[in-house]
Amino acid sequence: MATVAGKKAKKAEEEEQPAAAAAAAAEEEEEEEYVVEKVLDRRVVKGKAEFLLKWKGFSDEDNTWEPEDNLDCPDLIAEYMQKHKEKEEKKKEGKRKAASEASGDSEERGSKRKKEEGEKARGFGRGLQPERIIGATDSSGELMFLMKWKNSDEADLVPAKEANIKCPQVVISFYEERLTWHSYPTEEEEKKEEEKKD
Amino acid sequence: MISFTCYNVTDDRFSKFKNKGKDSAKRREKRIEVCVQLRKAQKDEEVCKRRNMSMSSVVDEEALSPEYISDEKVASLSIEDIIKEVKSSCRESQTRGCQAARKLLSQERNPPMKEIIDAGLLSCFVAFLGMDDEPSLQFEAAWALTNIASGTPWHTQQVVDHGAVQPFISLLTSPHLHIREQAVWALGNIAGDGPHYRDALIDCGVIPAILALTCSSLQVGYLRNITWTISNLCRNKNPFPPLSAVQQLLPCVTQLLHHSDQDILCDSCWAISYLTDGDNDRIDIVVKTGIVPRLVELMGHDELSVMTPALRSIGNMVSGSDLQTQMVIDAGVLAMLPRLMRHPKASVQKEAAWALSNIVAGPCKQIQQVITCGLLPLLVELLRTGDFKTQREAVWAVTNFTSGGTVEQVVQLVQSGALEAIIDLLQVKDAKVILVILEAINNMLLAAEKIRETEKLTLLIEEMGGLDRIEMLQNHSNEMVYQAAHNLIEKYFADVSELYNALQLSVTRV
Repeated sequence: MATVAGKKAKKAEEEEQPAAAAAAAAEEEEEEEYVVEKVLDRRVVKGKAEFLLKWKGFSDEDNTWEPEDNLDCPDLIAEYMQKHKEKEEKKKEGKRKAASEASGDSEERGSKRKKEEGEKARGFGRGLQPERIIGATDSSGELMFLMKWKNSDEADLVPAKEANIKCPQVVISFYEERLTWHSYPTEEEEKKEEEKKD
Repeated sequence: MISFTCYNVTDDRFSKFKNKGKDSAKRREKRIEVCVQLRKAQKDEEVCKRRNMSMSSVVDEEALSPEYISDEKVASLSIEDIIKEVKSSCRESQTRGCQAARKLLSQERNPPMKEIIDAGLLSCFVAFLGMDDEPSLQFEAAWALTNIASGTPWHTQQVVDHGAVQPFISLLTSPHLHIREQAVWALGNIAGDGPHYRDALIDCGVIPAILALTCSSLQVGYLRNITWTISNLCRNKNPFPPLSAVQQLLPCVTQLLHHSDQDILCDSCWAISYLTDGDNDRIDIVVKTGIVPRLVELMGHDELSVMTPALRSIGNMVSGSDLQTQMVIDAGVLAMLPRLMRHPKASVQKEAAWALSNIVAGPCKQIQQVITCGLLPLLVELLRTGDFKTQREAVWAVTNFTSGGTVEQVVQLVQSGALEAIIDLLQVKDAKVILVILEAINNMLLAAEKIRETEKLTLLIEEMGGLDRIEMLQNHSNEMVYQAAHNLIEKYFADVSELYNALQLSVTRV
């Protein structure tokens, strides 16, 4: 049914309304012909274009898809294509890159950075020469020395492991300074201590 | 306090010890003093940790003011004195002078960069960079030059013109970690100046040298600097970094993206955002690394500093081909968008809306995924309540949707309240936005035609106050706007306002 009807859709040139003209032309011909009232949609199936057609005298439930090649209603198709041409072009432009729209004034990351005094520069990273160790602590879980640096009054903590390698003499001085001497208890004194406890 | 018990000692050695001869009161005093210092140092260390990379408050506020004369012997030398020291032939003087310059250049306000440059000190500093037998001097010079390079393009140019680039690249192989780190920083500033210096550094072989550092380094502070410098090597357009450079840097960046430190993640994401901010071929290079799922994951990171560049990167990627966009969708981006579309920060909402607008610019299959993930109501929320920049992106989303969506999908869009929302936005001043809205309405009517519901839709538009607005837009000052409004009226509302139009036209022709 569809293929035959498609061929019969014609338009008289003088008429303004293609559908009406087609209808007029159709009236003069056989009654089995079917007239395209309007082109509603377009799709591509297996590389071939097809159009969704509304048939004059039929309800929308009878709309059918017809291959482009079978149709002979160029003006109806042209009308449809004109309407949708702009839309197709816009669709290709749908994607918008960052520079054009969205990111203009958004967050950015600094392209340059100044290194300020005291920032992250701690311990040996400050590039100073160790002068002497003035204290120690292991409350962080790791043995740390409080290091006094040459030409600076700011002491800070360095890992003992690092100091042992980088300035062993300074470490040794620290330990030597803190040696405290106890005389070795005699055997008699030890016994007295034990008796006291009892 | 540590103490040792030791036996078997001679008096001779004992008498040489520091504490001998001091009474116990004095020694106790000294012990207390040291304990206090230890506690203070530890407290300060903790404060620094908590503040992460920000400027430490440990530094004495006083010390930052130029008038402060500290006990440190080199703190506030005048530039004149600095020149004398630096230009002397004595290593110690040079170090003192260079350190003094470094401190001046590190001060928070108005570091005297131009004065140092005008004093002719840059060539000295650059010469110091090459003195491998004087690491303290190298370090001070490197730091001083880093800070000068952090200034204006002119400042950076001075550093480069005095021949600092090659020495800095050489310092990347210094045996001292803090010196390597300083060189990385300086090179980051030079690269960050713009594509010209970036490419000059690349030509000098900076990339292999920096990549070599990432193998062994595990110290976070060091790695942070390396990451930042790498991001600057990825940065800038016109031109983009050479493809070969990008190919070399990407594996490292993708590795860094799996680190847990937030500063490293932040700069790695920025690097990706720079690399994806281009044509689809550039996006392809990044997508092929397989990093997309990780980036989508980072879109949900708690820290704004990480989430922002991750979102930007993803936004860039979905502005690419349909295939690239599909990969991003497959990685789960649609599930991450709701939180971002509701984010308290307007710029996040805006970027999320922009990303969405690009996703719905794709084929109807992708549009369907957007619908399935429940994003339509959120889009309408943005149209209604977002700030203007967000609304603008959301409007694009609607128009793109109507352009690529099937009739059924467009119907769903209208039912979600989007039509009403964009009609409300017809009163904005921005002509471009109005045009985009009119296009959306036009597309919706085209869709309605396909299912013979044109009249229904025009009635709906009229009820929503759209007809009135579109009619008024025929008087808009922007030619494209009144043309578009007029076309709409003529095509779809002619029977309603034909008479009105006729009158209108006859008046304006005069």
